[in-house]
Amino acid sequence: MPETGGIILGIDLGTTNSLGAYMTAAGPVVVRDAGGAALVPSVLAFGPDGQVTVGRQAKAHAVENPLSTIYSVKRLMGKSLKDVAEDLRVLPYAIKPGPNDTVLVDVAGSGRTPQELSAMVLEDIRRRAEAALGVKITQAVITVPAYFDDAQRQATRDAGRLAGLEVRRIVNEPTAAALAYGLDRKSDSCIAVYDLGGGTFDISILRCSEGVFQVLSTNGDTRLGGDDLDRELIDMLTGEIRARFGEELEFGPATRQALKAFAEEAKVRLSDYQQAKVQVDLGGGRVFERIITRDEFEARAAKWIDHTLEHCRRALADAGLAPGDIEEVVMVGGCTRIPLVRRRIAEFFGRNVYTAVNPDEVVALGAAVQAGILAGMKRDTLLLDVTPLSVGIETLGGGMGKLIMRNSAVPCMASETFTTCIDNQSAVDIHILQGERELAADCRSLGRFVLRGVPPMPAGMPRISVTFLIDANGILNVSARELKSGVEASVQVTPSHGLTAQQVDAMVKESYAHAMEDFEAHRVIDLRNEATRVINAIEKALGARGHVLAASDRARLDQAVADLKAAMKSEDGDAIDAAMRAANEAAQALTADQMNDVLRQTATGRKISEF
Amino acid sequence: MTDHNDAPAPASAGKTIPFKCAKCDAPLGRPLVCDACHTLNASAMLTDYFTLLGLPRQYELDGQQLHRSFIDLCRHSHPDHAQNDSPKVQELHLRVSATLNEAHRTLKDPVRRAEYLLELLGGQSSAQDKRVPDGFLGTMMMMQEELAEAKAGGDAREAGRIASVMRTQRDGLMKRISNLFEEHRLAVSCEAVRKDLLDEIRRQLNAVAYVRKLLSQVEGVHA
Ligand SMILES: [Zn+2]
Repeated sequence: MPETGGIILGIDLGTTNSLGAYMTAAGPVVVRDAGGAALVPSVLAFGPDGQVTVGRQAKAHAVENPLSTIYSVKRLMGKSLKDVAEDLRVLPYAIKPGPNDTVLVDVAGSGRTPQELSAMVLEDIRRRAEAALGVKITQAVITVPAYFDDAQRQATRDAGRLAGLEVRRIVNEPTAAALAYGLDRKSDSCIAVYDLGGGTFDISILRCSEGVFQVLSTNGDTRLGGDDLDRELIDMLTGEIRARFGEELEFGPATRQALKAFAEEAKVRLSDYQQAKVQVDLGGGRVFERIITRDEFEARAAKWIDHTLEHCRRALADAGLAPGDIEEVVMVGGCTRIPLVRRRIAEFFGRNVYTAVNPDEVVALGAAVQAGILAGMKRDTLLLDVTPLSVGIETLGGGMGKLIMRNSAVPCMASETFTTCIDNQSAVDIHILQGERELAADCRSLGRFVLRGVPPMPAGMPRISVTFLIDANGILNVSARELKSGVEASVQVTPSHGLTAQQVDAMVKESYAHAMEDFEAHRVIDLRNEATRVINAIEKALGARGHVLAASDRARLDQAVADLKAAMKSEDGDAIDAAMRAANEAAQALTADQMNDVLRQTATGRKISEF
Repeated sequence: MTDHNDAPAPASAGKTIPFKCAKCDAPLGRPLVCDACHTLNASAMLTDYFTLLGLPRQYELDGQQLHRSFIDLCRHSHPDHAQNDSPKVQELHLRVSATLNEAHRTLKDPVRRAEYLLELLGGQSSAQDKRVPDGFLGTMMMMQEELAEAKAGGDAREAGRIASVMRTQRDGLMKRISNLFEEHRLAVSCEAVRKDLLDEIRRQLNAVAYVRKLLSQVEGVHA
């Protein structure tokens, strides 16, 4: 495969779905598969043979295979076991403690880090982009919720590395959305981006002036999203099922998985219809049926939306603005399709909300725009983002001494001078914190480091200057220098909830060792499988509806299929890809709608090798 | 074990900037960026934040001018636009960008701007001079008592009224600070008078800090 033409892939790594996009001279473009689908469910299925399936196919197997189907990994990124206690209630798979106070997902007896699992999704997105573009991709811009803390950002960056990607930038999702909406053409205005996704909520207030996007403030909750609304419906259904069939009724993993799927579907349906009918087969002839009305759903969803409005208030206060100062409200994330959400947000800001672009794709498009900026393709646009949470250090007595305030524009730097408290002390222990609370114990611990190599001096004499730098990714970097002697003190931060640089390096090496197969060969296998599915779909459709084709179209299609079959015998991935696209195109005439459905089903859920 | 210093030290104020670009020798219209070759001039970071952003060194400031100047300098210095340059140039962009952000944050907020300007003018820090204006503490104690009463009685409306009085108080103090800075700027007088003005600004600023802290507690209750 040709080397990357400097293409930096923009990736929206979502709780529920992920997708990629890339920049062209005409603007950002979403990566689609042969069937036109862009969204890849962020779901992994581990087969008994060690094969890993990603995407739609993995999701389809979730009900049959609840223990080895992994989803919502984003909720675990950069977290400790204690942090995710609440999530465990609804996740059917098992989680155990990992190194450095992280979590491991138990997959068939072996523990996988959330970084590895996310890397598998990223890997799939990368392969799809490579198949669509025909070039090798080695660099990416990956989006994260604006309210992600340092550990969560680092975990995301590490996942990218494990997927063989140089992560050029971690960019905040709402900011990316603003970039994609093309609001830069506005002369000078303040906008709000309301982003309610599968598992996270962000609100960002931006000032846009002639291509410069300046984030004024951001607020949010990294554990609030569509999953919570699903859970409301699940709780309602389980309550009623127990009331009908007995309180002692136990829900197995498969039933829980089915309930989740139903709740998700009902939520989506209720955005367009006044009611949704749910039917659950509990086995043993017990069937539970229930019609859920939109009013019922909204009554249960209301408290979550109130919660998001509280965050909107705080973000506005930090930006020094009132709701009336906002000239445009942009809605992002699948959950903003819910009519109640739109209604309440429109009320809050006193204006209509803006939902022109597909809310599922806009974040990836924005990531592609940022990739374009970094690649030097777009010099007229600039993003000035902020750090969502204050950074500081633990002071004597267990307080939080803030060094960098929340909503400071990044990159930002703060220096602090430390000294020793006993004679000839050669090391100083420093604890880095992130958060807004007064006590260190109430803040998030980012890590500790020990300043070593302090020259022997009486207590209080050394002056060690420590510089805390938050880069444009929102990630903290620490360096130190002893001012009296000029000695560069070594700083090695041990993350509180993450992998050390060495651990990531080791994992990257290991992944290379496992992925020994030649990349191109792997791609050809993938393409052949996909081509087989396409041919089967076309033949099936021809059998059912072949009579609708004109003779010339029929001949063209037969030729395209024959060409594809011939191409599949070769080792040339590009040729297979081209033939597959030609066959798809020739098949368009065969009742476009029905065909699309069939192709969409066949072209998703490709397998990727195990790491 | 740490000697924490909140306000950024104004780097050697009044240091002169080279008149010419280090790279192309063109005369510099502003300290940070050469308009001829777009090279960043690292020595600009030794000037004060007002000079860096091309603003007059005074308390009263045109918010639009600050915004425009900041955005324009960001376009020249942001690390995103230096991705294909050498690591050394990238490092310079990073440092300049961080300094610009800090300068903008300091000048945008009236209280931070006042603290910074006071320090530039040689005034004392809040740690050195903790005094407040005469009669201020009496007023504050009265308000705090009223507030405690309102809170104990669960009277949110009364608490809201007190918060609003405090905001008026704060705005009045800031107006007074603005006037004092203006007086100091225009004063053609002996050092002693100028020092008195700076000391007065210090006391007013201490009072503002006090009111702001109380206010954040009250607003915290309402949040
Ligand atoms: Zn020059």
